[in-house]
Amino acid sequence: MDEGSPSNGGQELGNTWWRPRELSFRPYTLQNEAQSLRVVVRKSELWNRLSTSAFAHYAVSKYFGGLRRWSGLVARLTKDIVETYQICNPQFKFSEDLNPKRYLTTPSVGVLNDGYDNANSDLILSVNYALVNLETHRRYIVKDVLGHGTFGQVARCLDVETNSFVAVKIIKNQPAYYQQALVEVSILTTLNRKYDPEDKHHIVRIYDYFVHQRHLCICFELLDTNLGADILQLFRYELIKINQFRGLSLSIVQLFSKQILRGLALLKDAGIIHCDLKPENILLCTSVKPAEIKIIDFGSACMEDRTVYSYIQSRYYRSPEVLLGYQYSTAIDMWSFGCIVAELFLGLPLFPGASEFDLLRRMIQILGYGSVFCVVKRQPPDYVLKEAKNTSKFFKCVGIVHNMENDEVAMDGRSTYQPLTEIDYEAREMKKPLIAKEYFNQKTLEAIVTNYPYKKNLTKEDIFRESQIRLALVDFLKGLVEFDPAKRWSPFQASKHPFVTGEPFTCPYIPPLETPRVPVAQNIKVDHHPGAGHWFAAGLSPNVPGRNRFSLHNSPHFPVVPYAHGNSYGSVGSYGSYNDGTGLGSSYGSYGDSGGTFAYFSPMGPSGMNMHPQSGVSVLGSSPDARKRIIQYSHGNGLGLSPSAGMFVPLPLGTSPSQFTPPSSYGQVSAGSPGHYGPPSPARNSCHGSSFGKVAAVSHYNRRKSWGYSGNPQSQECSSSQQWQGQFIDNTSTVQAEGQATSQLNVGSPSHLQSNPSAASWKQRGSSGITANSSAMQNMPSSSTRSSNIQVPHSAEAAHDKSEASQSLPDPGDWDPNYSELTKAQRPLPRLWVLVALATICALTITKATGSCGLRRTAGGGEAERRPENASRRSLQVFQNFLACCWPRTNGLLRFLVILAMCLLNSKCDGFSHSCFSDEQLLQEDGSDESCITTEFSKGLHLGLAESSIGVGRVNRISSTSSNLPNQRQNGPIQAFSHVEVGSPPSAHDPQAGFTRFMSKPSHLMPHNSQNSPSRLGQPPAQRFNYMRPTAPQGSEWNQNKFQPPSSFNSGGPRSPGSSSFNNGMPWGRRANNPISNIPPASRGRKDYGRIV
Amino acid sequence: MENSSQESHLRSENSVTYESPYQLYAMALSSASASRHQRIALGSFIEDFNNRVDIVSFDPETLSIKTHPSLSFDHPYPPTKLMFQPTSLRKSSDLLASSGDFLRLWEVRDSSVEPLTVLNNSKSSEFCAPLTSFDWNEIEPKRLGTSSIDTTCTIWDIERGVVETQLIAHDKEVYDICWGEARVFASVSADGSVRIFDLRDKEHSTIIYESPQPDTPLLRLAWNKQDLRYMATVLMDSNKVVILDIRSPTMPVAELERHKAGVNAIAWAPQSCRHICSVGDDTQALIWELPPVAGPNGIDPMSMYSAGSEINQLQWSAAQPDWIAIAFSNKMQLLKV
Repeated sequence: MDEGSPSNGGQELGNTWWRPRELSFRPYTLQNEAQSLRVVVRKSELWNRLSTSAFAHYAVSKYFGGLRRWSGLVARLTKDIVETYQICNPQFKFSEDLNPKRYLTTPSVGVLNDGYDNANSDLILSVNYALVNLETHRRYIVKDVLGHGTFGQVARCLDVETNSFVAVKIIKNQPAYYQQALVEVSILTTLNRKYDPEDKHHIVRIYDYFVHQRHLCICFELLDTNLGADILQLFRYELIKINQFRGLSLSIVQLFSKQILRGLALLKDAGIIHCDLKPENILLCTSVKPAEIKIIDFGSACMEDRTVYSYIQSRYYRSPEVLLGYQYSTAIDMWSFGCIVAELFLGLPLFPGASEFDLLRRMIQILGYGSVFCVVKRQPPDYVLKEAKNTSKFFKCVGIVHNMENDEVAMDGRSTYQPLTEIDYEAREMKKPLIAKEYFNQKTLEAIVTNYPYKKNLTKEDIFRESQIRLALVDFLKGLVEFDPAKRWSPFQASKHPFVTGEPFTCPYIPPLETPRVPVAQNIKVDHHPGAGHWFAAGLSPNVPGRNRFSLHNSPHFPVVPYAHGNSYGSVGSYGSYNDGTGLGSSYGSYGDSGGTFAYFSPMGPSGMNMHPQSGVSVLGSSPDARKRIIQYSHGNGLGLSPSAGMFVPLPLGTSPSQFTPPSSYGQVSAGSPGHYGPPSPARNSCHGSSFGKVAAVSHYNRRKSWGYSGNPQSQECSSSQQWQGQFIDNTSTVQAEGQATSQLNVGSPSHLQSNPSAASWKQRGSSGITANSSAMQNMPSSSTRSSNIQVPHSAEAAHDKSEASQSLPDPGDWDPNYSELTKAQRPLPRLWVLVALATICALTITKATGSCGLRRTAGGGEAERRPENASRRSLQVFQNFLACCWPRTNGLLRFLVILAMCLLNSKCDGFSHSCFSDEQLLQEDGSDESCITTEFSKGLHLGLAESSIGVGRVNRISSTSSNLPNQRQNGPIQAFSHVEVGSPPSAHDPQAGFTRFMSKPSHLMPHNSQNSPSRLGQPPAQRFNYMRPTAPQGSEWNQNKFQPPSSFNSGGPRSPGSSSFNNGMPWGRRANNPISNIPPASRGRKDYGRIV
Repeated sequence: MENSSQESHLRSENSVTYESPYQLYAMALSSASASRHQRIALGSFIEDFNNRVDIVSFDPETLSIKTHPSLSFDHPYPPTKLMFQPTSLRKSSDLLASSGDFLRLWEVRDSSVEPLTVLNNSKSSEFCAPLTSFDWNEIEPKRLGTSSIDTTCTIWDIERGVVETQLIAHDKEVYDICWGEARVFASVSADGSVRIFDLRDKEHSTIIYESPQPDTPLLRLAWNKQDLRYMATVLMDSNKVVILDIRSPTMPVAELERHKAGVNAIAWAPQSCRHICSVGDDTQALIWELPPVAGPNGIDPMSMYSAGSEINQLQWSAAQPDWIAIAFSNKMQLLKV
């Protein structure tokens, strides 16, 4: 090129030597402003000239009418040449339509739709083709085609009205694509307008949609490049070219993770599953600084209660439950999200399966727990495998189904199913499975991440720092790429992970934080399950009903509640059910809320808090603010807040392992949570129960679970509240209290009880929500608390195990251990502590003690966890009850001892405890209002515990039933349970023995609590209960609603118990609040406590 | 019509001014012509169908401009560009092309101008897509490319009077076109891009620059014939001259920002690869020398000239590289550099 053309002048003057001389030109100097004035003059001259012209008017209006300045001749003979020539000759005509067309669509031969469409039913596009919204007359000028797929094409278009570019998806002219695109429109419209009006959740914006030439056209904001293409390519490019092995820096991965999580949280709230999350569907928006990402392509999205398609998600990012043909929820997006995060860091897909068989094989391999000595293989939980449609394609059954049910899950984590080997597969399918080559030398996730090459030239400090972050990343990924959809972290949970928040990573802390919340939520869902049991049967739709129930419940309880629902529903719109779900989701928040809620929806949270104290009403009020979630929260708060709090506590304990655990392995998780809580409170149990329920319909369930959670939370709250009380004293800030609370709760509930049993309950009431929240918060932040919690869980788990082993004994024991630990750790309490210690010791001794928790977690054996949880829950409940009883009165101690003994001796201790409690409660109720309140609180706590436990039991049952799956048998039992709630059916529950027993216990407890609501509470408590109900409409409503739907539920009152307990708790809190008014739940609670005490 | 001619120009030692009865826009300097007098074609800008093209001759020895009333002719619409055939194949006449509603070829003889052909590629008699510019291929004098607002560039074989090819070059109106090699040309468009085309591969073009604001039109383009790595373009309503290196697409190597108002025309020095002249609405003509490395404060022009009003046109004489021709208002001025 350089030599391309001979230089004419160069030959004459010499290229390098020629310089302009100063002849007519003079040296350049900075000019003054005179010139700009001249321009003005010239314009006026032009104006004058124009005004005399025949076309002056035209020209004037054309050039001066607008904001545009008159351009020079150059522009008039280029940009404005048509106008200029028309001035010269009015007959001059130019038509853009005659411009030669550059076709953007191939084939470009018009075959269908009167020649507008090609053979593929795609609209034939050419540059400058105008897509017109006939209603608004808005025109979109096609400039380029960005891509095409089975659905149609995506074109980059100029929006003439705004002179900005948009991306327009032009759907094929075929009914199926048209309909699916309408779903996308409705989902995105809902997300944009109702859930994310301020565009803060990283969801692509939809601007417009219309039909053009029989093609549905959807206008989106135009984004830049997608993570799949550009970032990863850039990454790979860097990998190869610059520093070898340089991935996206962890800080960028963190940033993107945070943003994606915001979007996923919104989806979860809205009850929407993206169904095709992958790097290609995450676009970078570089026009904004700092860079933002957005989630696009909701073409496969569906609502959680309408999961129609089974073949969804791109293979590398396909979740186990989808692969196995199991019912799915928003959790599948979290799986995909985990895959994406890993890919961003590694630069390669985590599970690049060449086939589904290969995919599953890789999952099992990479997600195994690796150590040099033993590799614990992980696989989808049995409850999933049992129900999944495609299980037989990948697994062989090596156990007896019956055993599964009875045992829930093998204690040692052994599964009834074994993955097929390649040989097995070949034998079955008569062909070899496609297996791709391995990209990573390391076998396990942890090894892959930690051994990933470091950048060169890092200092030791840098390497150490990064290694710590990588540990956080591993932990983060483990919560996301979790086989058990019920244990898989929710977006909220994940968003609090140190990897995302940037907080220092300490293994113990992390899990607790997130897990707890989730379990709670699940629990809530579980509660729903009861009601939801139907859901299970119905499938997704059932969920909706459940939600409806919720709403109903809400409405029944309080007008306010309805409002809340209304909000959620309203916002959701058709999603109403979703909303419920959302609510649940929010309930998560609320749960968490209790711990986490606040954290999440700080706005909401507060309201939630208030709500709790206030009761349903306050909740409602909050809900408006908070949105649907709030409402739910409120519910949660009212009902479950305390529970949630409880949940939180548990969560902390069990959190790390699997937040969802409860859901996934209802039994397990709940157990886990229960374990955590278990000891702490029934809440966990309930959680478990919920988790069970969740299992069936995880997503929905989960949401519902959240409801259930509330129940759980209550129990937890109770315990937590107790802790709180103690903590309160200690920690003014609820948050701190929470942290402590959690820890305390775990152990604590007992300890609390000791310290201030009733007080605890009060706290719960008063600030139960808060405490819960705080606890959640604290949990998150404070590792110590968590750790304590964790320990408790472990103990709880141990207890559970024990309990499982010996149902009766375990519970108390579990509790005790936890308690003892907590107490020891936190405070040396007087008598109570001693008692607790004794109890714990007994429990420990009785139960196997220990490790089980860890095992559970690690093993991920949902079933096992379930049992423990139940046990723990029971034990917790018992403890709580005892504590509650004891605290107020020394007699309680005796009772407690008795109960412990009973527990140790017999699984049916629950009944005793219940009876005791009931008596106490009654007595208390008889006492002054305050005393009543306190008693109520205690009851609430107890109830909560009981409820939670009951709830759990129910949940379990329900979940089992509803969940269907795992526990069809349970279903039978479940019904019984529901009835049982009353307590009778425990035996029936027995299958889930622990659970049932728990249930039964709960029921017993419940009786008290539930009684509150139902029979026992009967009238005596009734007033208070009533109060409770009214105050805690949510709880009551919940109960009612939930229960109502299922008759059993009514009995399920137990759940309601959970909720009722909540209610109770709530009521208490509410009462406190109500009487006190909003604020002082805590303070009042304290006061009450004081009084009580 | 304008016999006043020779008296109408003001003369000094280093500049000559020609005053026309009407506003001037298009302007062309003949390449090495048969005579020692350089011919200059001047197109009017009159808001009327009937416009004029005048041919004057300039004698650098006497610094005189001679008008030739017999060489004036009517032109429909204001011509958007005038250009003499770069390498004259004829002894006694110059070939002049003009663009407007269509591409027209004129034979400029000593005493008369004969219209040769009207090259129209339009299939519609009712509608017309005006040509915004064209460029004559120096290496293949029979090849001429036009740019049109119908988004196309059309390559003509003027000897046969047929279209060699028509390319949908841009997504919007094409405003200028410039040959680099025999088969390589570049164009600028209202779509804000500078694209390079190779007639040997018509399926693809290379975008080497896009205006920072989407769809800010690029009005003018000049390819450095001394060093084909460089070209310059001008954005609409911009005081910047954007210098591009085709080896580093997207990122301009320099932006010359000393004009106080919009730049209207640019011309590379025919005898130096490092010098470029620009004129604008600030009435300034600036000559720039591109430094090997741009300083932090941008590039200052070497020298400047102030005209009486906004300068609309600029030509740097290839035949007599010491002379630059500018057009402003109704004046044409020759400046010695």
